[in-house]
Amino acid sequence: MDRLGDWFPFGKAPLIILLLTVFAAGWLALHPVGRTEADLRLWTFADIHYYAYLKAVPSFEAAHPGTTVDVQFVHATAVTSRLRAAFWNDLDVPEMVEVEISSAGSFFRGPAEEVGFIDLTPRLQAEGLLDRMVKARFAPYTYHDRRTGRDYIFGLPHDVHPVCLAYRRDIFEAEGVRVEDIQTWDDFVRIGRRLTIPDKRYMADFSDKAGGGFEAALYQRDGGYFDSGGNCIMDDPTAIETLLWYVPLVAGPERIADDPGWGQAWSKAIEDGYLITWTCPDWRSKSAETQVPRMAGKMALMPLPAVRPGGRRTSSWGGTMLGITQKCRDQDLAWQLARHLYLDPKELAARFRELNILPALKDAWTHEAINEPRPYWSGQRIGTLYAQLAEDVPPQYTSPYIEFAKSKMADVVSAVAAWYDANGPRPDDAPDVAARKRAEFERVAAARLREGADEVRRLMRRNPF
Amino acid sequence: MIGQRLFRWQHRYAPYLFTAPFVVTFAVFALYPMVKSLVLALFITSGPKSQVFVGLENFAFLFTDPSFFKAVQNTAIFTFFSVFLQLPVSLGLAILLNSKLVRLRNLFRFGFFSPYLMGQVFVAVLFSVIFAPRLGLLNQVLSRMALAASNTDWLGTAGLVMPALVLTSLWMYAGFNMVYFLAALQAVDRDLYDAAAVDGANAFQRFWHVTMPSIKPVAVFVVVLSTIGSFQLFELPYLMLQNTSGPEQAGLTVVMYLYQKGFESGDLGYASVVGWTLALGVLVISLVQMRLAGTWRKD
Repeated sequence: MDRLGDWFPFGKAPLIILLLTVFAAGWLALHPVGRTEADLRLWTFADIHYYAYLKAVPSFEAAHPGTTVDVQFVHATAVTSRLRAAFWNDLDVPEMVEVEISSAGSFFRGPAEEVGFIDLTPRLQAEGLLDRMVKARFAPYTYHDRRTGRDYIFGLPHDVHPVCLAYRRDIFEAEGVRVEDIQTWDDFVRIGRRLTIPDKRYMADFSDKAGGGFEAALYQRDGGYFDSGGNCIMDDPTAIETLLWYVPLVAGPERIADDPGWGQAWSKAIEDGYLITWTCPDWRSKSAETQVPRMAGKMALMPLPAVRPGGRRTSSWGGTMLGITQKCRDQDLAWQLARHLYLDPKELAARFRELNILPALKDAWTHEAINEPRPYWSGQRIGTLYAQLAEDVPPQYTSPYIEFAKSKMADVVSAVAAWYDANGPRPDDAPDVAARKRAEFERVAAARLREGADEVRRLMRRNPF
Repeated sequence: MIGQRLFRWQHRYAPYLFTAPFVVTFAVFALYPMVKSLVLALFITSGPKSQVFVGLENFAFLFTDPSFFKAVQNTAIFTFFSVFLQLPVSLGLAILLNSKLVRLRNLFRFGFFSPYLMGQVFVAVLFSVIFAPRLGLLNQVLSRMALAASNTDWLGTAGLVMPALVLTSLWMYAGFNMVYFLAALQAVDRDLYDAAAVDGANAFQRFWHVTMPSIKPVAVFVVVLSTIGSFQLFELPYLMLQNTSGPEQAGLTVVMYLYQKGFESGDLGYASVVGWTLALGVLVISLVQMRLAGTWRKD
């Protein structure tokens, strides 16, 4: 010990730390992370996509001898920030990347020629894909250049994500509710008031913050955050009407909806019968199958109730685009892979069995895999149902400011719901008091929407590009 | 001859060589970014490639930006509670765990300090679960005591977001600051207590007239450090609110706003302005705190 002390006088612990450091550094130096040699690198943020693509890639590589594809799974939050950093610095940019619909618009900032993706419009036009795919689904991935008035399509839509209403069939039957009786949201609310038991059971899973439920309602009414010209419309009459309809469902003494959250809390809420119905885009039907397996045979789907009799019976929630980056050296090869993953009806049909995601390519909808009965959903042919609604899915126009607009809308919904909780009409209010409160509610909702929209417009006016 | 020249060369350049690692690192990672951010503040950018010179417009926009003021307000509230709630709790714990009457003191010291070792990401995930509506631990406990509804949405209700963040931060940092106070308490001269006792001072008087003046330098240091740390709050709200500002921006802090503008919107110029405003604000507040505490007084 004395000899060690003479040789290394700082003590045993520092010596161990030093040795570990030297060992770790040496190990890393001798085992560097290898650079990928793949011809095409594809980033995806969804694990279900990742596993599906791993299965699909070998047939592509076999059809293109000598070509290698590296599919990488990157977390949803990370894919956005990593991709942004990669575009800015021209470092480690993948050849292809899937981007979630909410953040896609944020990449279409600055001069169109400096957007990190290539314009797919010529390829889409040449192959007639603008007609063969659901047209509305190109809207979220289309950049409207305000200087030139030209539109650029930077993303190939992965999906349509039509929205249905999932319901606990066993509870509906026990309560004597017939699906045929729910044609409009008015019908839904009327039945919901009867079935809801405060703090024990709620008719719907709408949140008192903006989210999928509110957005689905907004889009169903042909509203949105931006119009096709990129103008902010989040305080237009449609948005006001949607907010006035939505808030009393999630706030106040007569609310019929609650938001149990995600993951296990959501699964338990469905199992416990805390939620009787929930908004169910196609991808969420798979979430139910995997996360709430015990409800097999007790669940069913129906089209969304219409806003007005005879109106649209669906909306849209979520989405993914596939983009080819400017840095991709072999863009034709990347397009071939895009076609293989997104446009091969056989691949798409097989993937529907695994993911329940209806592809945007209409040719695939007639495949038997999409029209099979599903035991979990009480034997319903859910693919057929989603496909019937898919053509009617509303467009979601985007802007570089889409994320900011969504956060502002969330603030508005949250604030107006809180106001309604504290000041909204009560069932025992006298008619004149209720009318006055209703008028005040309308004024507050419109004012808050205008404030939020003005903030978005103020930011947009700063854009010099 | 060569030896002499080498000696002269070494004598002349050795100081530069010794300081070079720091100077180079500082210049590359601190000085250059600071100067660059000052220049960037005069541009509207879309990432680092696209820039348009706008002069002082970014500053003008900042002072009329409601989101920035909301961020400042939230950060100030958090800082207030960090200083006036967290530090007294830390001091109280330190006094308690400095007492010889407490058994297993070292175990408790480690117990209170250990949350700090976990890291903010882990703590944020843990408390997101604790604050969850319906099934969260906090709601389960409070609802059984009839103090809150079981579906109270702590992180989804504007008025509850800040209390949730303060509670989380209290859990994480109270033990960390306790260690500073504990070290200061252990350095207090025991003779002063004995003298005060002989003079008839009671426990509070001994604390106020002996303990507090003795630990004042450390207390000032902890207050300044906590203030700076609180103004830099980012990870906890960013993770607990899942990359959002929370309902009605109730969880938006200045650094989160800077991140959103710079790294999500790509407006690095505006983010630089936010950063410089934050830095100047923290500097002024720290100087005021030190001035009020009499740090520079010669007596």
